[in-house]
Formats: sequence, structure tokens, C-alpha cells
Amino acid sequence: MELLDQILPLVQKPARYTGGEWNAIRKDWDKVELKVAFAFPDVYEVGMSHLGMQILYFIVNSRADTLMERVFAPWPDMEEKMRECNLPLFALESRRPVRDFDVVAFTLQYEMSYSNVLNMLDLAGIPLKTSLRSKEHPLVIAGGPCAFNPEPLADFIDLFIIGEGEEAIGDFLDIFRDGRRRNLDKKDFLLEAARLPGFYVPSLYRVEYGKDGGILKVGPVCEGIPEKITKRVVRDLDKTPFPTCPVVPSTEIVHDRIMLEVLRGCTRGCRFCQAGMIYRPVREKKPGTVLRQAAELVRHTGYDEISLTSLSTADYTPVRSVIAALIEEHAGRGVGVSLPSLRVDSFSVELAKEVQKVRRSSLTFAPEAGTQRLRDVINKGVTEEDLMAAVGAAFQEGWQAIKLYFMIGLPTETVEDLDGIVHLAREVLARGRKAGVPRGRLRVTVSVSSFVPKAHTPFQWEPQELLAALKEKQAYLAGRLRDRGLVFNYHDTGVSFMEAVFARGDRRLGAVLEKAFQLGCKFDGWSEYFHLDRWLESFRQAGLDPEWYAYRRYNYDDILPWDHISAGVSKRYLVLEHRRALSGITTDDCRTGSCPGCGLCPVLGVKPDYAGGDYNAPLPDTVQ
Amino acid sequence: MPRYRIQYSKKGPACYISHLDLLRSFERAGRRAGLPLAFTQGFNPHPKISFAAPLSVGMSGEAEYADIELTVAMPADEVFHKLSGSLPEGLRLLEVRPVSDHSPALMTRVDRATYRARAKLSHPLDQKKLDEAIASFLARPEIWVERKNKAGGKKMHNIRPGIFSMSGKSENDIIIIEAELKAGSYGNVRFEEMLAAFQENSRLPVCERFMLSRTGIYASRGQEKEMLW
Repeated sequence: MELLDQILPLVQKPARYTGGEWNAIRKDWDKVELKVAFAFPDVYEVGMSHLGMQILYFIVNSRADTLMERVFAPWPDMEEKMRECNLPLFALESRRPVRDFDVVAFTLQYEMSYSNVLNMLDLAGIPLKTSLRSKEHPLVIAGGPCAFNPEPLADFIDLFIIGEGEEAIGDFLDIFRDGRRRNLDKKDFLLEAARLPGFYVPSLYRVEYGKDGGILKVGPVCEGIPEKITKRVVRDLDKTPFPTCPVVPSTEIVHDRIMLEVLRGCTRGCRFCQAGMIYRPVREKKPGTVLRQAAELVRHTGYDEISLTSLSTADYTPVRSVIAALIEEHAGRGVGVSLPSLRVDSFSVELAKEVQKVRRSSLTFAPEAGTQRLRDVINKGVTEEDLMAAVGAAFQEGWQAIKLYFMIGLPTETVEDLDGIVHLAREVLARGRKAGVPRGRLRVTVSVSSFVPKAHTPFQWEPQELLAALKEKQAYLAGRLRDRGLVFNYHDTGVSFMEAVFARGDRRLGAVLEKAFQLGCKFDGWSEYFHLDRWLESFRQAGLDPEWYAYRRYNYDDILPWDHISAGVSKRYLVLEHRRALSGITTDDCRTGSCPGCGLCPVLGVKPDYAGGDYNAPLPDTVQ
Repeated sequence: MPRYRIQYSKKGPACYISHLDLLRSFERAGRRAGLPLAFTQGFNPHPKISFAAPLSVGMSGEAEYADIELTVAMPADEVFHKLSGSLPEGLRLLEVRPVSDHSPALMTRVDRATYRARAKLSHPLDQKKLDEAIASFLARPEIWVERKNKAGGKKMHNIRPGIFSMSGKSENDIIIIEAELKAGSYGNVRFEEMLAAFQENSRLPVCERFMLSRTGIYASRGQEKEMLW
């Protein structure tokens, strides 16, 4: 009997490791030239909820010369059995060891999955460091939002793809195949790859440090390698491949529904938000494309829910007519529509009302900050009136539970802003009572996370607030959010601290990651597995100070660890936005017609693409 | 509403699909197949699919049964063809028959099930020795096993009345054990617990975990087992 079948009865949720799901693609191993393992550094239920994986799986498996299989981080109970039985990390489709593949491609969705990247390489029997691997080993590549500051993983990843993967994966596979045919060794292949747009080979860049620990200089080690790596971007969302035969898991996953992307990018310009900066410009799918893809997805998956995904679906120009058309076409067969997130306004509540026949779940709004002053600082274009109108409409329509998301530790925050959170929560509660929601049913959940400054945002120069101060603020709020019907949730400050370190970290942190892996760090995004003490010990052993990274305030003329990676948005724009933030001046969404001058369109040769057809010519980078 | 009884096998990767996930898998397969599934009323509608008896995760099923209700009647052949092409790897449809509206619920008819276990032996085992071990196991008037209840407490159960038959085969380095056990809502005996009790008693040289399958589920008429159709 196969070794795996001996182990599976002993672990939780064995369906995570079996493969064989509907629409999974198992190609003939011997008839395909290139084998790629797509590695998601978290557990199956999380990884399978990731649309990017489904997109790349579809594109790569559509090529005759290539196959892509999936691999996820085994849950610790499975890892223990695998190590006990010497079963190396394997891919789900062929059950072959990951080390037999030509390429292992990680997606980096959040910093706290880095320990899992190392742990998975180790479980696969692949040397962790790029310097210890030759062409006998798989090439280890990575992409995703965290690749916009790839430096902490520079020791481990051979090649990063910056920007939108579907745009670059074809080029990568072509040159990799050609390199194979010419029998190039790894070093020569990487030299060639580094010349392509959006391809970053960290080993071909040297970083020099100054006496204060800051960066003096970053540059390529030889000629012909670009100084700056600019992200890849899809130009036309209607023409880019989108899978309408996604893998349908046989076990329940986090987002267990059709995920249909209707637009990419968000230009609201919230100053803390990395996604809003790195996924520019806004590109909307035409309604016809959305409806056609929805019909195919329903037929090919059997799901009973279509989630219209994006960073802000209420902003999708034809959202109302598309929802109406989807309901008309699919509701009769018991297939519903859902929206993953709502804007803080009554329009969003109307949309939610249209899609939700039964008020089963709560509605979530994210005012992010407690006072108008601070919301202006972060450019969250939401007023207290907006919020009250939204929750008023929600209670009126029969919802009885509201969730509110806030952040603490934002730049310039004072105790008044914390009081503002308490005030808003109580106001929402009062609105619910006034609307006649029964006391026992009325629930307002206040969820508070700690601000983490991220690369490529206007707040990239800002320090994170001290861990002790964040804890005090949490306690302050906990002491006040006690009214009947209020529920207060907050995030582990230790996790946010580590997230801040790696979000703005440099490549010296590779040593810390390696120590942390050796000390058993894994699944750090899961509170039951996060151990701050192990991380602090790793820093001690590596001789580095985590506070220096998390609490450092950078100057505008400092060289930032990720300055050689370009998201297309100009640094001058980020500086301007940072200054406007500190002065409490808001900036318009470029949808409104006034171009904020982020500089992206002229640099990338792109323009916003609205499904409604109207579009305002972006200005060249006019920021002075 | 038109009801159909399906017989299917659940093997390979599908044998790790849990009972709850299996319901979801059939629902999605039904939708992909374009079958007009009937749903329950209420806030949380779910498809009217009921299974004969839950199967332990990791055990394969060679001839399992479920009833599926549709909103529109169609020939059983058509249900078979539509659903056959829509099941994930390891789930295979064997037969579909219409069920009359008045026939009792599938679950209430289940009375017994047959099982097979297969494992490697560390050294060859004489067939006679195996037969003797089984005979002495079955000769016990009572066989007590410990079961945990939901509250975490433990309770002893006598499974001997629920063991109808048992046989074994030893060939080279492979041992196969088959049994017919009581199933259903009363007096159900789990094959795993019977095997464990037998192993404890006989100490056979089995060197790996048994690979388990349920080979059939049956109703009964008197002392005889009867197909669930």
C-alpha cells in the first residue's frame, strides 16, 4: 500500500492532501517538457481560495509543453507524519515529490507566510538558499503582492516576478524552456532572465550598507541588468485568460464559491493600502465578459454562489445592471450572487439587499479610523454621515449584525481618535436600537487591527507604533467597548510587529528567517502557531534588532530596501501624498476626473479602463 | 417528488471525502449535470439527498447507496448519464433506479453491511492458523469494546451479537479479512473496532495499517440479507 494511504487516516482533514478534485488537471508527466509546482505557503483551505493560483494553473496547463501541479503547506500534524515516514513534500496531481519538478513557484500573499516558504522547501528536500542550489534542483521563483518588497527572501528565491503573473508567466516559461534546451546552467539562465521586464534576480544585485545600518547603494552586479525592475501589468482584462473551469475542492475551503473578478485595481487612494498602489490602474471587465464567464463557471463548477470579487466591487461602473442580469439568469436554479466587501455608503447596502434574499450574515464596513481628522489623514473618503446612512439602511433592511473595521496606531493618532472609534460604535448601536432591532439580536462587532506601514505606500516612511503602546490602546478600547451588543476583537500585536519588520525589511533578514525556521516557526499567520519569543530569539542569534526595522522612520532621501522595485507609482507622488496626509488634505479618486498624478499611466503606457466607457486622460507626472 | 436511488462506489482520493463534504460533492455534481435537484424549504435550503449509512473517512465503499430527489421526473437512464459525467475522481455511479414515493426512507432499511480489510504481513501466515484465530474469536460469547461518547465519556459495548460472519484469507504476504456486521441505527458495529478486537486477541503479524472497504450495504428479511433496491 502506498505510504500516503498509511498516513492519511491518521491526520485531520485528509482530503487536503489527496488531489483528484473536479477540474483538477493531471497531465502525462513523460509527455510534457516543463513541470511547474505552484506552491501556496499556507494550508489547503486558504490556498485553494486564492484566485491567482486558479488563473496561473489554467494558463500554464493550457500550454502543451508545460504542466502545473499544486502544493500547499501541510498542517503540522501532517508534517509530523511526513517527517516521521520520510515522505517528501509532494504535489497533489501526480503525487510526485516537489523536488522532481523543474520550477517551484511560490505566491507571497502575506509576510507571515515566509516561514512556511522555508519549511516547505525543507520538506521538499530542496536546499533553502539559492546559493546552494544548482540546475539539478528546481528553480525557485516567487510572485504576488509581497514580491514588491522581495528583499527579506532574497537569499532563498532565485527569481521574483514583479506584478501581474498572467502577464509574465508565458515569457518565463519560454525562456526557461529555451534555457533548458541550450543546457544553460542556473547562473547563465538567471543572467538572461534578469534582462526581461518585471523579472528580478536578487543574487544579481548588490546592496551596500552605511554605518547607521541604512542602505547606501543597490545596484546590479554586472552590465545589461536593469537598475530598476518595473512591474508587469495586464492591459485588457477582457482579453486576458480567466479560468472558467477552476478546480472545485471536495472539502470545504475558506472561499467556497465562484470567484469572478470584475475589476482589478482601486484608485480610492487610501494611504495605508498597498493593494491600492500596486494594482493600479483600474481595469474593469465589460459586462458581457462577466456574464459569459459567470454562465460558464456555474456550468463547470456546480457552485451555488457567484462572488463578484475585486478590491472594491461597489465601484465597478456597471455593477447594478450586472447584478440584476446575473440574478435573472441564475437565481431560478438556486445560484446566488455575493459581494465580498462593501463601501461605506447606502448604495452598497442597496446592492447587498439585491443580492441577499435572506439576511443571514452580518454586513461589514471599514471606516478604518474614528475621527474625520484621521480619516482625512489616511484619505479614507468616508464621513460619519456616510456610515450612519449605511448602517441605518442596513438595519432598516433587516440586518441585525454589523461589523466595523478600524485600525489603531495610524500616523498622527491621538486618544481622541480612539474615543472616536468608541463613539462610532455606540452611534451604530443606537441606530440599531432606534430601527427596532431586538436587543438580544442587535450586535455591533468592532474589529481593530494594528497599522503596519507597507512598501510602495505614502506611509512607507512611517514607523510602526511601539508594541506596548498598541497594547495600551487595545486595553483602552476594551475598557470602553463594553455596552450590551458590542463585541470587541483585536489582533495579536506581536504578529503585527513581525509583519512590520518584514514588510519594510531588507535582505539581511534572510538570516533571521533561516533561524526562525530552525527554531520551528511556521504558520505564523495562525495565532495558535505564532511564537513571538522564537522570533525574538532568531533576531538575537542573527545579531539584528527587530525594533530598528519596525520603528524606523525613513527620510524621503533614504534609499529604501525596495526602491529598485517599481510599482509604476512615482516616489514624488508618494512623498506628496505623505505630506498631504500629515496636513490632513484629502486626494480625489482618479475616477472622479481629477488625475492625482501618481505617474503610473505614462510610465507603464497604460490607462484606466472603465466598463462604462468614460475615462479621463491621465496627466503625466505633474507632481512637483 | 420523483426520487431516485443511486448505487455508487467511493474509492481512491474520494474515500477521504467526509460525510458532510460528500453531500456537497453530490450537490455540485448534480448542478453540473444539469439535474433539477429538489431542495428543502427554509432559511438554509439544502438538496434532498440522503445516504444509506455514513462511511468512515478513509474507508472505500464499493457499493454505496443514496436517494436523490428531483423536481422533475426523468428516466433513470438519463439521471445516470448526466450524473456519471459530473462526479469527481473516485466517485463512480454504478446504477440508478426510480423509487416509489411511498417506499420507506433508505436509512431505515439498512440492517447490515459487508466489509473487507487488506494488509501486508511481516511473514507468511498459515491459512489454518488464521482460520483457528477467527474461529476462536467468534467462539467468544461476548466481545467487549470501548466507545467514546460525544461528551468524552467512555462506555463498553458488546459487539459479538452484531458480528454475523467473518472469514480470512492468507496468501503469501497478504492477509484479507471479510466480515458481515450489523449496521443501521441500532446495534451498529464498526468494522475498525471489530478488527482491533480481533487483532488484540490473535496478534497476527500484520505490518501495516489495514486498507478498509465496505463492500456492500443491505436490508434484511428474516435471517437473510436483502439488496437495498
